[in-house]
Amino acid sequence: MSIETESDAAATVAVQPGERPVVLRATELHKRFGALEAVRGVSFEIREGETYGLLGPNGAGKTTTISMVCGLLARDGGEVTIDGRPIDVGKVAAKAGIGYVPQELAIYPDLSAKENLEFFGRLYGLGGTRLKSRVAEVLEVIALTERANDRADKFSGGMQRRLNIGIGLLHQPRLLLLDEPTVGVDPQSRNAILESVAELGRSGMAILYTTHYMEEAERLCDRVGIIDLGEIRAEGTRRELVAMIGGEDQVRLTATGDLAGASAATAALEGVVGAAHKDGVLEVLVTDSRTLLPALLASVAAAGATVKGVEVVEPDLEAVFLHLTGKALRDAGA
Amino acid sequence: MRTAILIAAKDLRQRFRDRSVILFAVVAPLGLAVIFSQLLAGVTEFKATYVVADMDGGTLAQSFRNDVLESLVDSGVATIDDAATPDAAMASVEGGEADAALILPVGFTTAILSGQPTSIEVIGGQDAGLATEIARSVSTRFADGIASTQLAILTVGDLQGAPPDEAGVAAIIAAAQVPSLQLVDIQTSFRQLSQTTYFSAGMAILFLFFAAQVGAVSMFEERRLGTLGRMLAGPIAPTTVLAGKTLGSLLIGIVALTILAVATTVLIGADWGPPAGVAAIILAAVIAAIGISTLVTSFMKTQDSAGAANSAVAITLGILGGTFFPTSQAPELMAQLSLVTPHAWFLRGLGEMHGAGATVAAALPSIAVLLAMGLVTGAIGFARARRMVTAR
Repeated sequence: MSIETESDAAATVAVQPGERPVVLRATELHKRFGALEAVRGVSFEIREGETYGLLGPNGAGKTTTISMVCGLLARDGGEVTIDGRPIDVGKVAAKAGIGYVPQELAIYPDLSAKENLEFFGRLYGLGGTRLKSRVAEVLEVIALTERANDRADKFSGGMQRRLNIGIGLLHQPRLLLLDEPTVGVDPQSRNAILESVAELGRSGMAILYTTHYMEEAERLCDRVGIIDLGEIRAEGTRRELVAMIGGEDQVRLTATGDLAGASAATAALEGVVGAAHKDGVLEVLVTDSRTLLPALLASVAAAGATVKGVEVVEPDLEAVFLHLTGKALRDAGA
Repeated sequence: MRTAILIAAKDLRQRFRDRSVILFAVVAPLGLAVIFSQLLAGVTEFKATYVVADMDGGTLAQSFRNDVLESLVDSGVATIDDAATPDAAMASVEGGEADAALILPVGFTTAILSGQPTSIEVIGGQDAGLATEIARSVSTRFADGIASTQLAILTVGDLQGAPPDEAGVAAIIAAAQVPSLQLVDIQTSFRQLSQTTYFSAGMAILFLFFAAQVGAVSMFEERRLGTLGRMLAGPIAPTTVLAGKTLGSLLIGIVALTILAVATTVLIGADWGPPAGVAAIILAAVIAAIGISTLVTSFMKTQDSAGAANSAVAITLGILGGTFFPTSQAPELMAQLSLVTPHAWFLRGLGEMHGAGATVAAALPSIAVLLAMGLVTGAIGFARARRMVTAR
């Protein structure tokens, strides 16, 4: 998989993720609140243009981790660097490269959207025409241009959430920290937020995204760390995580013709775990549907069957979480 | 410093937008100062008009009219008119031309000299309670004096075998009357301010403590809104946030007191003193108020408790410091106790710039005390508040 960077407007360059510089490196983070060890040796790194998800239930340690990463919460152990510069509570200047979007709204309800953006923009050193243009751009991104001069307390919950995110984007940070930004948001706003985050990831920003919604992690994140009880239990791309638990993709081909021949032909392919047909549907279990699908379709056609429809069912992160923790993701935080 | 100014500017925008600071810092103290000045103007500038109907015309009636009542005129608290008949006198009262009528009946002097009962009739106007009370008091005092003199005359008469003549008795009675009303000017440092100025300044310093708490208390609001965390997650130190809050309070305090000084001067004739000295003492008082409110707030856990604690401190210090009444008129212990409050030093400092030969330099000790109070409490409060802001 390659990620496109827009660092050079004149040319789009394909760069392998591993070749991109590391923006955030968190190493062996520890945090204790009294008797509770909220974070236990959490380590991960995020490269330029990469969206990294921390997926776990409420109380797993996501917010504590993100608070330590942005230097808002003192660590009991471990180290955080951004572009190689250490981050801590007292390291004020190093925080300039961070955009932080807290889980709870952090806006001034009695100021307008524009005033909120201008205030925080100035705090990050923006001013003059640069501030003006960035405010206009961000208002466009969060779809609040028409309501720029309205007080934030007149906004719907979704609009307030979008403003909350917009403030974090204003100074074009190297690293954007999003702590469950869609909690309590209506589906329409949630979709808009997810699209905005995906766009930011494509623009080259390094993003740390915490969520307890499996679908969001799957949709947005290049890599996911599954966190539970203060520990990262597993980490990798969605496919790597699924592979970790031995899950196979199920490819369902609706076809006519020689389905028995097609079944036998596909079963012989490398990467195919099993194949069977019934009622005009050929079901094939494969290790990686994305790489095998072209060969699969070619094999079926060669066997004398005509494919009318394709459906791929992949194991999801919910299954991975269940496998790793013994509990369902959506129930774990309750 | 730039960031602190940004935070202060944002705070000012919010406070002026919700108008709370305007209410607490300007409208309420100005309103109360005007009310107090109007109420007290009725006391300090009291002047009653009495109408006397002397139906007797005798020596003692004239003595009452010309000696006793005239002493009120001499003291500047009354004017005396004469009426030909009791009905005319009562008509003057009912018509509002006089506050009270005093009627000396026919045979007044004779009755007294012969030891017979008589009376002075005092008829007060409907809205002239104080004027009527004074007239009644003066008349009662005159009657008491007569009673004791009558007793003395009767005793002398028994001993000498004959009473003194009428003129002699009248002279004795007149001599027995001490002045009915004597105004005493108590010279103290506080009394150097006019009452209008005193209560204008008193209300200003009282409400300054409500306005000065805005910055420190808003730290809790920032925390509740999540904006404090957002700022601290950025390139902003906790001390910068606190500095911004303090700067906002400083500006609110200075602007509010300046508006009050100007407004009370223009509207109700207060005389705060030389502008340079007033400016210095206003600055020192604002610093003291911010220091104390920061210290008080640093001990609190929530916005509500911080607001309540600061209000309680503001009222307590205001009462102790003499914003409602001059502590010079209070018991000595209270006067001494008032010196622990910035309010007393603020009022004293303003007072020291008034009077003959007074200069701005005379207020320097008060200014120094105010600054010391502000800096000491502010330093402790700032250190405690910084820990509060950082602790998460």
